[in-house]
Amino acid sequence: MAYQLYRNTTLGNSLQESLDELIQGSLNTYRFCDNVWTFVLNDVEFREVTELIKVDKVKIVACDGKNTGSNTAE
Amino acid sequence: MDQNNSLPPYAQGLASPQGAMTPGIPIFSPMMPYGTGLTPQPVQSTSSLSILEEQQRQQQQQQQQQQQQQQQQQQQQAAQQSTSQQATQGTSGQTPQLFHSQTLTTAPLPGTTPLYPSPMTPMTPITPATPASESSGIVPQLQNIVSTVNLGCKLDLKTIALRARNAEYNPKRFAAVIMRIREPRTTALIFSSGKMVCTGAKSEEQSRLAARKYARVVQKLGFPAKFLDFKIQNMVGSCDVKFPIRLEGLVLTHQQFSSYEPELFPGLIYRMIKPRIVLLIFVSGKVVLTGAKVRAEIYEAFENIYPILKGFRKTT
Repeated sequence: MAYQLYRNTTLGNSLQESLDELIQGSLNTYRFCDNVWTFVLNDVEFREVTELIKVDKVKIVACDGKNTGSNTAE
Repeated sequence: MDQNNSLPPYAQGLASPQGAMTPGIPIFSPMMPYGTGLTPQPVQSTSSLSILEEQQRQQQQQQQQQQQQQQQQQQQQAAQQSTSQQATQGTSGQTPQLFHSQTLTTAPLPGTTPLYPSPMTPMTPITPATPASESSGIVPQLQNIVSTVNLGCKLDLKTIALRARNAEYNPKRFAAVIMRIREPRTTALIFSSGKMVCTGAKSEEQSRLAARKYARVVQKLGFPAKFLDFKIQNMVGSCDVKFPIRLEGLVLTHQQFSSYEPELFPGLIYRMIKPRIVLLIFVSGKVVLTGAKVRAEIYEAFENIYPILKGFRKTT
C-alpha cells in the first residue's frame, strides 16, 4: 500500500524543483491548469546584447504550441 | 533471549519481588501507570485548522514528553537505588552489579520499546547477550515522511488549481492537484475525493503541520475541509557508517534477507524482518532505511544492522 503511494508521488513530480527556484528568490508563484503555465517572477533582469531591463514583477503565461509557443509578458 | 535461564541460582530468589520497579519497561512499573496524572493528549481531530493552534499543540506535546522522560529517569534512579541494596545483601558476585550498571547506561532512545521484555528482577541484563558491545553512536537522519489525511469533503480540483498558488493540475496525466508550500518544504497531492498525500517533510511534526497548512489553503478556497485520520505512511532515513562494506560477503551470509545485483542497482537491498524495514546498503558505507511507520523502527533497524556491517568492513 505504501509502495502505491510512492508510485503516485513520483508520477506527480514531487521533486521540489519548483521550490528550489522559490528558494533562489526569483519565482513567486507558478500554476499549471488546462495546459497553460502561469509564472510570477520578482526582481527580474531581461538582458539583451544592447539593453538591460529590470522589473519588479513579471507574469509569464505560456501555452503549448504546435510550431511556436506563445509567450506574453506583462 | 533466555534471560530467565541465565539467572544464577542465588539470584532466582529475587526473580519476582513484590512490587519491584522494572526500569526496563516503565509502562508496566507500578510507579508509572499508563494513565498518569499528566495532562492527557489533546484530541487529535480538532475542528480548527489554525496553524497557530497546531504549533502550540506540538510544543505542548514536546514539553509533556520531556516531563515524562524526566520522571522516568527519576524513577529509574530511585528503583536502582532500592534494588542495589537488595543486590548487595543477597549476592556476593560482581556480575549482578555489572549488569546493574548496564541498565543505568543503556537508557532507551525516546520513542523506542526495549527489544527484550525485562524480567522482574533488575539483576538480569536488559541489554542483549553481549554487554561488551556498545551502541553505534550513529543516529540515522530522517529524510522524507509520507503521510495521508482525509479532508472529508469532495473537492473541485479545477477551482483549486486556478485559485491556489503553486499548484499544478494536468488531469490527462494525473488525476490530482500537485501543490507545494515553502515552510515546511513539502508537496501535496490533493484528490477530488478529498483525500490528500503529503510528502517531503523531515519530521513527523513537520508533516502534520504541512498537511494542516494544505488543508487550510483548501478551506480558504471555500471548501468545508476537515482534518480526519492523519496517518504517517512511510518514513525514510539515512546515515553513514564511515567505513566501506563488502556487499558480496554480506549477500552470501544473509542471502535470505539480501538481494544484490550490481548490474541492476549498486546497492544491496536488505529486507529486515523485525522490524519490517528495507535497507539499501552501499559500498561507501552509506545506508538508506525505509518502510517505517514510526521513528523507532528506523533506529532499531540501524542498531540491528550496524554490528553486521562491522563484520563486513572492507580492510583494504
